[in-house]
Amino acid sequence: MMNKRSLIQTFAIFVIIGLALNLAPEADSLPSGIAGQSEKGCICHGAIPDSGVTPSITGLPSTFNASTTYTLTVSFTGGPSGTDAAPFNLGGFNLAVSSGTLAAVDERVKIENGEAVHNGIDDDEDNNGIHDSVEAGGEPITSGNDFTSWTVNWTSPESGSTTFNLAVNSVNGDGAASADDKWNTMSVSVSGPSSGIVAEPLEPADPFVVLATLIIVSGVLLGAVLLYTFYRANPDGFNWESFAPWITGWLTTTDHKKVGTLYFLAGFFFLGIGGIMAMIIRVQLAVPGNDFLTQDQYNQFFTMHGTVMIFLAAMPLINGFANWLIPLQIGAADLALPRINAMSFWLQPVGALLIFTGIFSGAAADTGWTGYAPYIVSETAHTGTTMWVAGQIMLVASSTLTGINFLTTICAMRAPTMGWMQMPLFTWSIFVANLMLFISIPAWGVGLIQVYLDRTIGTAFYYVASGGDPLLWSHLFWYFGHPEVYVVIVPAFGIISEVIATSARRSVFGYRSMVYAMAGIGIVAFIVYGHHMFTSGMSPTLRFVTMLTTMLVAVPTGIKIFNWLKTMHKGSLIYRTHTLWALGFLVTFTLGGISGMFFPSLAMDTHLHETYFVVAHFHYVFVGGTVFGMFSGIYYWFPKMSGKMMDEKWGLLHFLTAFISFNGIFWPMHKLGVMGMARRHHTWFVSVDEYTNIPAEMADWNLFISVSAFLFFFSNFILIGNMIKTIISGKKAPADPWGGWSFEWMCTSPPPTPSFDPHNLPVLHDANEYHESEPGGFTKWFAGLMVPEDDSEVSH
Amino acid sequence: MSGDHGHEHHIEPWGPHDWSHGAPHNSFAPLVMSIGFGVFLYAFANIFVMGGLENISSMAGVMLGFIIITIGLIIWWRQDMSFDGVYEPQGVGAPFRNIDLRKVAMWIFLMSEMMVFTSLFSTYIRYRLGIPNCEDVFLSGEWVEGTTVNCFEPAAHLIASSWFHLAPGAVNTFALIVSSFTIVLALKTAKMSNKKYAKKYDIETANVDAHRSRKVGIYLGSTLFLATLFLTLKLIEWFVGFPTPGPLTDLNHGHSEIKSLFAEGYTIHANAYTNYHYDTSYHGGHDIPTDSALYAMLESGAHPGGMMMADIRVSASTFYVTTGTHGVHVFAGMVGLSYMTFKALRGGYGPSNAVSIEYFGLYWHFVDLVWVLVFPFFYLY
Repeated sequence: MMNKRSLIQTFAIFVIIGLALNLAPEADSLPSGIAGQSEKGCICHGAIPDSGVTPSITGLPSTFNASTTYTLTVSFTGGPSGTDAAPFNLGGFNLAVSSGTLAAVDERVKIENGEAVHNGIDDDEDNNGIHDSVEAGGEPITSGNDFTSWTVNWTSPESGSTTFNLAVNSVNGDGAASADDKWNTMSVSVSGPSSGIVAEPLEPADPFVVLATLIIVSGVLLGAVLLYTFYRANPDGFNWESFAPWITGWLTTTDHKKVGTLYFLAGFFFLGIGGIMAMIIRVQLAVPGNDFLTQDQYNQFFTMHGTVMIFLAAMPLINGFANWLIPLQIGAADLALPRINAMSFWLQPVGALLIFTGIFSGAAADTGWTGYAPYIVSETAHTGTTMWVAGQIMLVASSTLTGINFLTTICAMRAPTMGWMQMPLFTWSIFVANLMLFISIPAWGVGLIQVYLDRTIGTAFYYVASGGDPLLWSHLFWYFGHPEVYVVIVPAFGIISEVIATSARRSVFGYRSMVYAMAGIGIVAFIVYGHHMFTSGMSPTLRFVTMLTTMLVAVPTGIKIFNWLKTMHKGSLIYRTHTLWALGFLVTFTLGGISGMFFPSLAMDTHLHETYFVVAHFHYVFVGGTVFGMFSGIYYWFPKMSGKMMDEKWGLLHFLTAFISFNGIFWPMHKLGVMGMARRHHTWFVSVDEYTNIPAEMADWNLFISVSAFLFFFSNFILIGNMIKTIISGKKAPADPWGGWSFEWMCTSPPPTPSFDPHNLPVLHDANEYHESEPGGFTKWFAGLMVPEDDSEVSH
Repeated sequence: MSGDHGHEHHIEPWGPHDWSHGAPHNSFAPLVMSIGFGVFLYAFANIFVMGGLENISSMAGVMLGFIIITIGLIIWWRQDMSFDGVYEPQGVGAPFRNIDLRKVAMWIFLMSEMMVFTSLFSTYIRYRLGIPNCEDVFLSGEWVEGTTVNCFEPAAHLIASSWFHLAPGAVNTFALIVSSFTIVLALKTAKMSNKKYAKKYDIETANVDAHRSRKVGIYLGSTLFLATLFLTLKLIEWFVGFPTPGPLTDLNHGHSEIKSLFAEGYTIHANAYTNYHYDTSYHGGHDIPTDSALYAMLESGAHPGGMMMADIRVSASTFYVTTGTHGVHVFAGMVGLSYMTFKALRGGYGPSNAVSIEYFGLYWHFVDLVWVLVFPFFYLY
């Protein structure tokens, strides 16, 4: 018997499912036709444009003058119209312009939604070859359908360039769509006076100046915050004598906690910079045919956005968590190689500086974050590409050193009696992530060095003319690139496991299966990368194999989702801010995982690969997965790191605004993608030309996405404000504010230095119900292979 | 600043360190070295652009980068000079319980090095097997004189064509193998207990330290010398060449010198390489009795065959970058060995921290092992 509460819950769930189904992307994808197109003038006969029909526009100047009216003649040749057609209903056209206005010259043309179309009065409905109006005894109506040529007036805009998109029909005149009806499309651009010549009320902003200014402003703000932190720490000692050792201490530190803080600073700074780039991209994409960013600038912005977000924001933030927590969680005094650890960090800002040199010279890398060959080694790629590659080489060196450090630390420095299967899941996740990164990143490093040498001394690894193979780059890149995307998501899994277990006030359900699932993801990561290359011309056999292996990824991921749900199911969930983020993660990451399952399928992938569906998918897993996971981690561990409690009201506000606006950005992108909006393009057009443009209602969605993007961007300032406020005036945090039971909660908040007494390491008594005697059989066998470092060996 | 567990927190970022308390130590070395790497990569890309010499004055920037890296290394080593093995952190978790952390880290590092060379060999295999071999193309006759063909020309075709060409590579192989031996001798000498050492060399126990320092220094110095020899011979083979005077001239088909690979035209910019300018009927009909006769005909321009022009940029890139990456590893080893020789001569290595030599030796043996793979694939086959 259901009680009232369950009924309401069930009802609410059905409402949500119903809403979701309504909002779900519609399945009528291109090019079979899109609802609403036929009313707009171009009945696009046949599935594909026919090259037998040749559209043309005459009367266009090579460059137009401002606010001048030009008379254009739109016509076509070829197709059934010219041959055996009845004299009526020969054809039609649709002309869309990206700027300026169109006006009809005579009754053959009408203007609809700013686009010119033929006047579609059918004067021969019975198809007998005689005008109906003549049959009725009047003058024939010369409707627009009866011609193969039309005249339109176009009034040019003040400046910029204008793109003309023309679609024409050439039909046999029987009034019904049939196989011999043909159509075709063309596009032409005309540029006008540049904005400098024409006096304008406002100079259009140069996006690079905007970006550079915002970077400098962010840097100055960061500096001011750091200075203020120094001032707050000791208001009396605000002078150079105490500042010099303070700043030297930070620049030279090898303490894992301080290096972790540096990673957080760098990570948040670049998360902001990457966010600013995203906002500029969304300004560009907010309305059709926008020219805020040129094609060339757009390429640089999306390249730098991807690079910054993955390598300079996500990775440092993960390293920030890892640096802070790994020694604390496994009961070690510090990392194995503290100086190497500092080296890992300092390579990153210097590498970032190299990557950014292009931004300040206005010729940043324009290769995409994947840097595909052969474009990346071509002369036409921007000069900043070389520095982008150089900076990435430094990041590879950094990741390699990080890998050595963390693998050594986790393998060898676990507290006495902490076996592999007693390690906290966050430590496991960092172990798996670093192992993946460590084994895969040398391949990319070698590829980068090859490209760097190609672009400098002129080796020919990727020069197609000399026999170089661009696919080799793709293989080297994606052999690293696919494990890399798991490297950024697996630590989030670790954080979520900790947060959900603590919040549900029980040990995580299925600890062993969680470990095996993560290890499984780590192994599968290396055999699936081919799915990034389905459309690259890779061997069909390999494509088929990676299709199957890619589908395997869903198994361990599904196990993890199930275990998290099951942990909450038998737990007693307490809703803190970090819990909310973890729940939000479950929703968005699962949605991202589901859209991900479209891509292993070869046919689906070929169809969706170049659309916003992909953009929606990877942002759902990168932002909805990694970033939400890290937000959860910040709310969870910030009291431990700073010794102060964060404001939960602000946290709730941050969660609600960010979670809703995030979905507002990326959920509609699924729909845009299915509708055929192509990714990596600097602009888009709404028109009837369904091959290069998208349907009219998508304009609203794009604007909606841009508005949501700005909301999401600014909502994250609540987090920054909360952190600053907490550091200044937060309540003092106890050692264990949430009731967690791993080693980091045994330390004071903030923890001492060194984190644990090296001569008196903590001993693990009982991590959870799966505690077993350690070491296991495999470990014993492996330990037998090791030569102990005892004194007896020295003396022989 | 004092630590929370009663240990000193060392804020001595320029070194030297007091190692008796263990980590953490502050250090300027990571920051300085990172800046040095950045300056180097930035300046180097300004000298050459897309294979052209753009701006030679940036050489100053490259030098500056090296100087900054060197300063960073000096800071790093200044802190390490005082390391005498008293503080040697060991693993506490299975399966590395009581194993030195440095040893674990070195093995893990070699795992990544393995992947570096695996990737380079993947590139090699892709191009070696995927692009038709120049000799096959030449023999097939499907080429036109004056038109460049794309084909893979293994460096071995040149190098293994004569013993003289092979000589630098062959000597290098032995140099590296011997250097692996000398570093083991250094380890053995450093590890021996004072009592045993005194007995073996028949000296007073009090003199052991000085004697040992000299001996370890000599062994490490020999390793350094052999590594230097390796790189010198490599540069001779690549860029300089060497004379073959007197009776060697006869053995060298009448030539008084062996040209470097560069002088032979085997370069990364060679898009009109003409090594296959001998008689096409030579391989088939065997009209010409000996190699020497063929060479004589080539010299006089009387050879009957045509000249095939090949674009060998991919082959040369693969060769120079793979062997060059190995060369960079040897150079890195030399930098490390310079410091270790210096430290050894100052009495830095005894039984308590001889393992430092062992852990460097792991790296050195790995570099040796890679050469043992590179040599047959790039020089012989």
